[in-house]
Amino acid sequence: MRRRFKKKREESEINITPMLDIVFIMLIFFIVTTSFVKEISIDVNRPTKSPIKEQKKSEVISVRISAEGQIFVQDRLITVDAVRANIESYLALKPQASVVVVADREAAAGFLVRVIDQSRLAGARNVSLAAQK
Amino acid sequence: MIKRRNREEEDSEINITPMMDIVFIMLIFFIVTTSFIKETGINPNRPEAETAARAELGNILIAVSPSDQIWMNKNQIQLESVRILMESAHAENPESSVVIVADELASTGLIIDIMDQIRLSGISKVSLSAKEK
Repeated sequence: MRRRFKKKREESEINITPMLDIVFIMLIFFIVTTSFVKEISIDVNRPTKSPIKEQKKSEVISVRISAEGQIFVQDRLITVDAVRANIESYLALKPQASVVVVADREAAAGFLVRVIDQSRLAGARNVSLAAQK
Repeated sequence: MIKRRNREEEDSEINITPMMDIVFIMLIFFIVTTSFIKETGINPNRPEAETAARAELGNILIAVSPSDQIWMNKNQIQLESVRILMESAHAENPESSVVIVADELASTGLIIDIMDQIRLSGISKVSLSAKEK
């Protein structure tokens, strides 16, 4: 009786080879499928249509982009490089103002991103996007 | 001599416990860091932006080519199917946000339409892809 018990104990090592195989296969799968590339992006606010939250016109800095890529800040034609300075000066007058980018449907997306970027740099807290029909 | 050799052979099992530890740690690392980003199928020319930040949860990608074609999961899709695809992608991964990879020359109107479709599918976080200056 005693002898038998002893023998069993000695043999009771678990065979971990199949587990190892599975673990290795999972490891290889995850190594192969992992992609660490994250998109670099800027957040854009698109105001929802349903609850129409009307903002006072005096608290909005409108930036209009025409189909040809001309940029108007408060209806004044300026270049992309001047967007930041212009918005900064408007924000100095009205610190709570939010920027609304009104883009023509035909305008290039590059201008849109540049204008949003510049107004962010100017310190605008709320930049939202609207379409011009 | 013979006896000795025999003994050595018996003892020569390699201890695989440290290797197992490392393999398990690697496995857990890869499982945790994996996010299955589905490639869009095209590589548009992203506009430059200075305020662009890494979109940590942005793993639903949708691309817009310069000629205003919409691409997702390596397929060209129509604007009407964006909503359904977004809904299923959102159901798969409820924490994810959407990154629109738009070409510099894509039209703003289409991007706004896509944003509205994404909004309708119930995803509130949308950002526009850019590259760092």
